[in-house]
Amino acid sequence: MTWTMTQRQRLAAEHQILQNEGFTQFGVYHYATYDSYNASGTATTSSGRNYQLFCIIPPGYPTERPSLYITDPKPLLNYHGAAISGLGVSHAMHTLEPHSAGWVQICHWRSARWHAGIVLQKVFLKAMLWLEAYEQHLATGRDLADFVGTMQEAA
Amino acid sequence: MSNGDQRSMIREAMQSIAQRKPGKSKLVYDKTKRTIVAVSEGVTTAKALNITADDADMFGVVTLSSGWLREKWPHLTKIGSIPVNFSSWDDGDALTQLELCIQGSGTQAPATLVFGQQQGSPPEGMVISITPTDKPTHRADVFVSPDNIAYRAELFESGEPAVDRREVVFADIEPQLDLRRAGILETTILKDRTVLCIGLGTGGAHVAVELAKSGVGHFMLVDRDRLSVGNVVRHPGGISQVGRAKVNVTRDLILEKNPNAQVDVHAVDVSFENREMIAGLVQAADLVVCGTDNRQSKLLINELCVSANKPAVYGGAFRRAYGGQILRVRPKESPCQQCFVSALPEEASDVEVSSQDDADAIAYSDRPVAVEPGLSLDVLPIATQLAKLALLELLADKSSTLNVLKRDFDAPWYLWLNRPEPGTQYAEMPPLSESRDEMTINRWYGIYFERDEQCPVCGDFLAGFAAAYGIDPSQLPALPEKD
Repeated sequence: MTWTMTQRQRLAAEHQILQNEGFTQFGVYHYATYDSYNASGTATTSSGRNYQLFCIIPPGYPTERPSLYITDPKPLLNYHGAAISGLGVSHAMHTLEPHSAGWVQICHWRSARWHAGIVLQKVFLKAMLWLEAYEQHLATGRDLADFVGTMQEAA
Repeated sequence: MSNGDQRSMIREAMQSIAQRKPGKSKLVYDKTKRTIVAVSEGVTTAKALNITADDADMFGVVTLSSGWLREKWPHLTKIGSIPVNFSSWDDGDALTQLELCIQGSGTQAPATLVFGQQQGSPPEGMVISITPTDKPTHRADVFVSPDNIAYRAELFESGEPAVDRREVVFADIEPQLDLRRAGILETTILKDRTVLCIGLGTGGAHVAVELAKSGVGHFMLVDRDRLSVGNVVRHPGGISQVGRAKVNVTRDLILEKNPNAQVDVHAVDVSFENREMIAGLVQAADLVVCGTDNRQSKLLINELCVSANKPAVYGGAFRRAYGGQILRVRPKESPCQQCFVSALPEEASDVEVSSQDDADAIAYSDRPVAVEPGLSLDVLPIATQLAKLALLELLADKSSTLNVLKRDFDAPWYLWLNRPEPGTQYAEMPPLSESRDEMTINRWYGIYFERDEQCPVCGDFLAGFAAAYGIDPSQLPALPEKD
């Protein structure tokens, strides 16, 4: 995979947007060994719990949708104590295909809704909304979808 | 007058009646010509034969390829005879030389082509004798040899003229096809144009075939799917093609209409995994026609086309084909697909879910999506308009009769509505007969919107980020490194 100059500029700008918009707990990182990029960081919910978020930047980014995973806690359990990753692509929990490592994939934008105008800051923003809703799910047993509704497209 | 010429004149007379030519409604014996001729009903003659047009509809046709015969001519004139094979249709009513057939009838009929009158004992089966004629060369039953001599052909069976009176005609494909297009389409230009057709469902395949009919000479076809039984009620491919890759079905449909076209097929998915391969195809094309119905593929194609500075037309039906839309993209000049998605997200998301694969791609495991294809007759207006816009792009910088349409089709986005679909913003449209200024069904609307100068695909996205987030593109630090 060879990244174009435009892609590298875009990722550098994405990192700067995260810092400028107060999402300093997240960043875009370059892995020199593989010349790959990821975005990651620790999200802290209003209850004070921490979650590790890991976003894989795909070779086709930004036209190709990046996948966002919760890598810790693992396994991430639902109200009933079952691993959420076992639900697969779930509307009730707003999740997509889990990573082979068992990480839950948050549905921030479906591929059918994603486009290159969406910045990573909004992806992490949606992840933080998902985590707040997840904790409400843990507290009540209601579907996560009851708290976040349908994520409307917002460019 | 030879027997052959007399038979030919009788055949002409009967054909004049069969074809309902004005003034030719009955047959009489012409003493001066010493044969039967067709005359108008008012001509008085006691010897007129009472043969009606229906009676005269009795000729079978044997069709030979002029191109093939020109190629074989030196061999035929030297050796005296060569074998030729036909596809036999309708119990032998039509025999079409196999070299002309993209798809044959399944029944073959062998024959021998003989130069001049048959000498000695005739070969077994059908014999087609080629002899000089003084008939005008523009006629379908006249072949002009490479040494510029006119010939006609006659069918014999067992050494005798065929009893079922099959006419032998010559198909000179390119001139005969061009004749029907010349004057409207600049066929010499289109012959050299290359179109990349991505997505060969009902609409995409129809567009490809229409472009072939118009004389486009080079095609690259991309689609991963196979033709299923359910497709047949919409797709130009028929039930006998079920199971074949759509690229191959469409290739054959193209060749049926334009046998000299060059068609490359690629039965692959339009995905980021195949990005490099598709980028190579885009680079080789003059125009990209996108008939896929999912956003990822459209945006991928858009990115590749903008990067390669290739024009593209994107077409698709709305759900259940209550309408449809077309986006024409001239990179850096008009809005691209990304500009469209950003400016009009809901319109860009209204797509037909025409197959289970499409439905599965957008469904959740706990919330399936129904397959809701539209009718073929609702998809075809969109495909036909897409083909017309594609032709305008292919002829863009050339003089053409179609140039007058440029003032009518200068918008980037086109909208078509087949019906006032309940639940949509078009549900309350007035009836077609009552509308003056309001939108109605069955009309094309060209809609203008601005290109996004800061589009992340076709514009200066860094300037956009600078404006929206207050970053300085010239001062972006290097990204943090991790091992």
